[in-house]
Amino acid sequence: MSTPDDLASLLREGFDLEPADPLTVDRSRVVELARSLKGIGFEYFSYCAAAHYPATDADPDRTVVEYRLRRLPRDEVAFRVWVPTGESTPSLCGVFAGADWQEREQYDLVGTVFADHPDLRRIMLPEDWEGHPLRRDYAIDTRHHPWR
Amino acid sequence: MAVAHSEEAHEAPAGPVPTVVRPWADPYLDPETYDPEGDLMVMNLGPQHPSTHGVFRVKLWLDGEVCVKAVPYPGYLHRGVEKLCEKLTYVQIPPIVDKNDYVSPYINELAVNMAFEQLNAVEVPRRSQYLRTLGAEMQRVGSHLLWLGTFAMDMGGALGGGASAFMHTFRERETILDCFELWTGARFHYNTLTVGGSRHDVPAGFAEMVRRTYETIRARTIEYDELIYDNAIFRSRTEGVGRVDAKLAMELGVSGPILRASGIDWDLRRDRPYAAYGELKINVPVRSAGDSLARYEVRMAEMRESIRLVLDLIDGIPEGPICALKPVKLPGAFKGKAGQAYVAVDGPRGELGTWVIADGTERAYRLKIRPPSYHAMALIPYLAPGSTLSDIIVTLGSLDPILGEVDR
Repeated sequence: MSTPDDLASLLREGFDLEPADPLTVDRSRVVELARSLKGIGFEYFSYCAAAHYPATDADPDRTVVEYRLRRLPRDEVAFRVWVPTGESTPSLCGVFAGADWQEREQYDLVGTVFADHPDLRRIMLPEDWEGHPLRRDYAIDTRHHPWR
Repeated sequence: MAVAHSEEAHEAPAGPVPTVVRPWADPYLDPETYDPEGDLMVMNLGPQHPSTHGVFRVKLWLDGEVCVKAVPYPGYLHRGVEKLCEKLTYVQIPPIVDKNDYVSPYINELAVNMAFEQLNAVEVPRRSQYLRTLGAEMQRVGSHLLWLGTFAMDMGGALGGGASAFMHTFRERETILDCFELWTGARFHYNTLTVGGSRHDVPAGFAEMVRRTYETIRARTIEYDELIYDNAIFRSRTEGVGRVDAKLAMELGVSGPILRASGIDWDLRRDRPYAAYGELKINVPVRSAGDSLARYEVRMAEMRESIRLVLDLIDGIPEGPICALKPVKLPGAFKGKAGQAYVAVDGPRGELGTWVIADGTERAYRLKIRPPSYHAMALIPYLAPGSTLSDIIVTLGSLDPILGEVDR
C-alpha cells in the first residue's frame, strides 16, 4: 500500500514523520495530527485499540493506543501513542465523535486513561468491577469482586 | 396493480438530515436539566425487550411518545472474547470468534485467519480463495435473511400478522444452513477456516444443492418485496425514519449497508479486494436517502447481488489444493511470527476487522475484533432524540445489530 502524496507531505512537513503503518506520534501532538488528517479527508474513524506492556528493564509499565482513519474508498492511516501507566493521553472525542465509545471500551478493558474525555465510564463491565481485564497482569482464573 | 420492487430507489425525503446536539454537550445523566418539572418519563428499553435483538439496554427520557434523550448501555453479553484469545493458541481462536457475530460465523473466521496469514506472510491457494469467497457470499445471504425476518417482525402486525415474514425468511435460511452442514459438518459454528486455507473441501453433490437452494431464494426475493416492500404500512413506517447523516456515520465508523444507504459508495470487497474478490465484478448498491427504507433497499439489493455471485462462483471454482500448510493436529503446533497486522473484510454489517499483535509464540499477544455493530449502535444517542418510541424500534431493527459482536 503506497502512501498518497498529500498524506506523505503532511506527515513530513507538519509532523516530521516518515510514512509508516503504524506511525508513532508523541502524546502532545496526537489531537493536532488527527485534526490535520481529518482536514485532508481522513474522515472515517475505523477504530481505537490499546494493548498493555508490563514493565521491563528498558521500559516502564505502559500501554500503546492505536487509531486508524480512512479516506474512503482506498486510503488509510494508522498512528499510535505510548502511554506510561499512571499518565493519560488526550482524547480524540473533540475531533471524531466515534472516539467516545471506542476510548471508553479501551479504558474499561485495558485501563488507558484518556484526558478530556467527556464521559469516561466503563462500558462493557459493571461499574463496580475491579481491575482492567486485558492487562497482562490480570490473571484469567483469578476471582474478582463481586462474582466470587 | 403494479408491484413495487426495491431495485429502484425511493425518493429521498426533502431537506437535510436534522442535526442533533452531541449527547455529551448536555450535562450527563442529569434528568433535572431536561426535566425541571418532573414531567418526563424515564423508561428502560431492554435488556430483555425482543426488539433489541439480543440484550441491549437503552435508557430513554420520553416526553409523551417522543424521546428527548437516549443513553445506551451495552455490555450485557460481554464474554471476554479478547481475553480468551490471549490465552488460546492461533488454532483455537477461530471457533471462539465464530460466536461473536453468530449470524455470520464464516466471515468472522475469515477475518481472523486473514490477519494471521498477513502476519505470517502465508499465501493461500487459489482454490481456497474461491471457496472462501463462495462461503462468505452464501453466509451474507443467510445473514440478510435473518435481518429481514426480524426487521419485519419488529413491525409486527402491520405486515400481515406478527411473525409471518419471519417464518418465510427462516424457511429459506434453513436451507442455507443445510448447505453449510453438508460442506463443513456444522450448521452454525463451522471452524472450517484455518491459517493457510480451509479444512473442508466441497463434497460431491454440493454444487447441485447450492444451485437449487439459491435459485429458490432468488425467486423468493420477489415474494419478499411483494409481502413487505409493497406494503403501504411498511412504507409509512420506514420512509424518513431514522435518517443517518453520512458525515456523522463516518465519524462514528459506521460501515456496510448503513453507510451505503446514506450515499457513501464504499465496499471493502471492491475497494480493498481480499480472497478472490479482486477477480470478480461486484456491483455495490448505494442509496442516498439514509432512512430505514433505504437500508432495506440496500440490503435487498446486496442479497440479490450475493445470490448472483454464489450462482456464478459455484461452477467456476478452480482446481488445486485447499490449504497451503500441513493440517495442524496439536493446538500449539502453529507458531506465529512476531509483528502486528490489521485486516478488515466487508461482512454483512460492514467493516469487520482484526487487529493482532504477535510476539512469536503460539499465542497472540493481543487480539482486538473491530465489530461493525458496535459502531452502528453508537448512532442510537443521535437517532433516538426527536423520534417516537415506535420509530426507535424500527430504527434499531434497520441498523441490524448483533449483540454478540457489540459486546464480545
